[in-house]
Amino acid sequence: METLNRIVTSSIGRKLVVALMGLLLCGFLVGHLGGNLFLFVGKDAFNAYAHHLETFPLLVPVELGLAGVALVHILVTLYLQLTSLAARPERYAVTQSKGGRTWGSSTMIYTAAAVLLFIVVHVATLKYGARPSPEDLHGLVMRYFSSWGWVAFYAGCMACLGLHLSHGFWSAFQTFGVDHPKYTPVIKGLGTAFAVAVSLAFASIPVWARIAMGGSQ
Amino acid sequence: MKVTLKVWRQKGPDQPGRFEAYDAEVPSTDMSFLELMDTVNEGLIAKGSDAIAFDHDCREGICGMCSQVIDGQPHGPDQGAATCQLHMRKFKDGDVVTVEPFRAKAFPVIKDLVVDRSALDRVVSCGGFISINTGAAVDGNAVPVPKVDAEAAMDAAACIGCGACVAACPNAAAMLFVGAKVSHLALLPQGGPERARRVLGMRQAMDAEGFGHCTNEAECEAVCPKEIKVSNIARLNREFIKALVCSKE
Ligand code: FES
Repeated sequence: METLNRIVTSSIGRKLVVALMGLLLCGFLVGHLGGNLFLFVGKDAFNAYAHHLETFPLLVPVELGLAGVALVHILVTLYLQLTSLAARPERYAVTQSKGGRTWGSSTMIYTAAAVLLFIVVHVATLKYGARPSPEDLHGLVMRYFSSWGWVAFYAGCMACLGLHLSHGFWSAFQTFGVDHPKYTPVIKGLGTAFAVAVSLAFASIPVWARIAMGGSQ
Repeated sequence: MKVTLKVWRQKGPDQPGRFEAYDAEVPSTDMSFLELMDTVNEGLIAKGSDAIAFDHDCREGICGMCSQVIDGQPHGPDQGAATCQLHMRKFKDGDVVTVEPFRAKAFPVIKDLVVDRSALDRVVSCGGFISINTGAAVDGNAVPVPKVDAEAAMDAAACIGCGACVAACPNAAAMLFVGAKVSHLALLPQGGPERARRVLGMRQAMDAEGFGHCTNEAECEAVCPKEIKVSNIARLNREFIKALVCSKE
């Protein structure tokens, strides 16, 4: 109980929670991406995969768990952000980085907002959107990606996701205290590779759908 | 060469402040930045005005008193140097140099550029020490310490407690300072017995003083005049986790 109390009432403990949730979400990204890649195999393979997933008996609990993880990640971060604002009530007139911050680290809150907006739109359109027929998720995906506007929106949001991960991945390990002269460069490299690979792979789907398929089936 | 100093002036704690500009002649680029401030102050005193209050003591990068943010960077544009070790050769003729106090809720401004950094002392008083009665001097090699650990402990112990890490942190977090203090004791056998109590106590004091949380931006490492690494923050996190899981306290 004391341990739990120390986690939830301390800045370091709260960061541990954010980091853990972040890594779990990274795991989800890999799973989601794996499913998406069925699109490249073909219409039937993708629809079969979608059917398999949607009839999975534990789907709802898993979805709720996932939403909970995301919500905790967001809410604890927002709370910490507020404490940070309070920690410097008077701002500097001039601020100049000395090279510690990266694009990813200094835009975390904005890329997070973009990803959150994306999730809402993505779930509303592709999860709950009207399909050509109930079993044809492939058709719905292709219909959306026939529009360059949607393709650009998806690609832009995936770029934000990549930027978010470029800092978040290593940052989570640092928060867990995983640091060693031999392994830290590897973890940082893996973080960059993960960010680039995940965002490019996700973004490739709408681009490929629009170009190769001409947006039709 | 001539520069214009735009300096934050504030009469006292909780008073409104504002920037005031002072034109300063720089007779030699070998002059230190604080010497230039002294010159400006002599001019102000000669005119019967209030001199700019700023902290300094050793003027050789040891005491950590010279807390100034120069052009948006704590301790100014030099690398691995405190404000007192900054020289005018880092500036160009005609530069307008903005000078502000360290800004954090835990570092209230006392006057002009002088801030109260005693929050850091209070954090140290909550565990940043070892409670061993020293007694007679023991043999130097009685307690073997691996060379790498001794080096890392010394690197962490180089912290002069200036607070630049807090000043540079976008979140005004004190994690590099606390990380350094926890690390230099955690790395040595003498610090072992109290390691859990130390990290739990210092963490609690750090949060209570109103410092922000760490988002691993590493600006602290970039501005540290003693070039203390964020590895010490990882070690602080590790010590905290160990204390959470294993401590019986
Ligand atoms: S005056 Fe002592 S460190 Fe600068």
